Amino acid sequence: MILLVALFLGLLAGWCLARWHGRPYRVPEPKHLWLVPAAFAPQLAAAYWPAARALVPPMVAATLVPVSLLGLLAFVWLNRQIPGMPVVMVGLVLNLMVIVANGGWMPISPETASQLPGGSPPEAAVTGTRVDEKSILLRAEDTRLEILADRFLLADVAGYRAALSLGDLFVAAGAFWLLASPPRAPNPQRSENAEI
Amino acid sequence: MNTKLGKLAFLGNRVNRQHVQLAIVILSLAMLILGIGAPSDGGGATRIKF
Repeated sequence: MILLVALFLGLLAGWCLARWHGRPYRVPEPKHLWLVPAAFAPQLAAAYWPAARALVPPMVAATLVPVSLLGLLAFVWLNRQIPGMPVVMVGLVLNLMVIVANGGWMPISPETASQLPGGSPPEAAVTGTRVDEKSILLRAEDTRLEILADRFLLADVAGYRAALSLGDLFVAAGAFWLLASPPRAPNPQRSENAEI
Repeated sequence: MNTKLGKLAFLGNRVNRQHVQLAIVILSLAMLILGIGAPSDGGGATRIKF
């Protein structure tokens, strides 16, 4: 949810800036947009959609997340000329590295997870338990590339709290930038640019 | 009259297309960000369970 907030704030900032300059707000025009739902689908089954998640064996699910990320990496690479997309790409690569290094899931230490709403005390944690959609409980000493794991805790805001990885911070910054900055130049071949 | 109606229909068509395009791009970007990011969070109706 925290990353969607960054995207929404970017949209809001971009729209306000466009109004300030007296021009219509335009969103970027990514190429190969079909790649996003196609690459996201395996992850939807493995992590987000509870009904499908129950049907996917854990070993398969652990493979689907990195495969999905590779598909999304292809999309980001093909659109790297869009402002903000290179920052998103850095975040993606960092998250992909730590996820692949830890068996297909994003590691989070019991100490960090225990500080999230609903978290149990660290001593009650069972290593390897899945928490949230794509995370897994791993002790810091058992985590590979621990510096890239979910370890940055945000302040509690109205009962909501999140633990982010370094990659997530880049993704949030890139998401904001994507929608806050105007596209570089209008495409003359696509006169129906999305404007509001 | 016909010309005016035609212009209105064209305008309505254009606005709808623009808005649909905008919605598709934003929805895809939201999907992209959800797919790439891996934060652990909880609050409101959702709770971390372990």
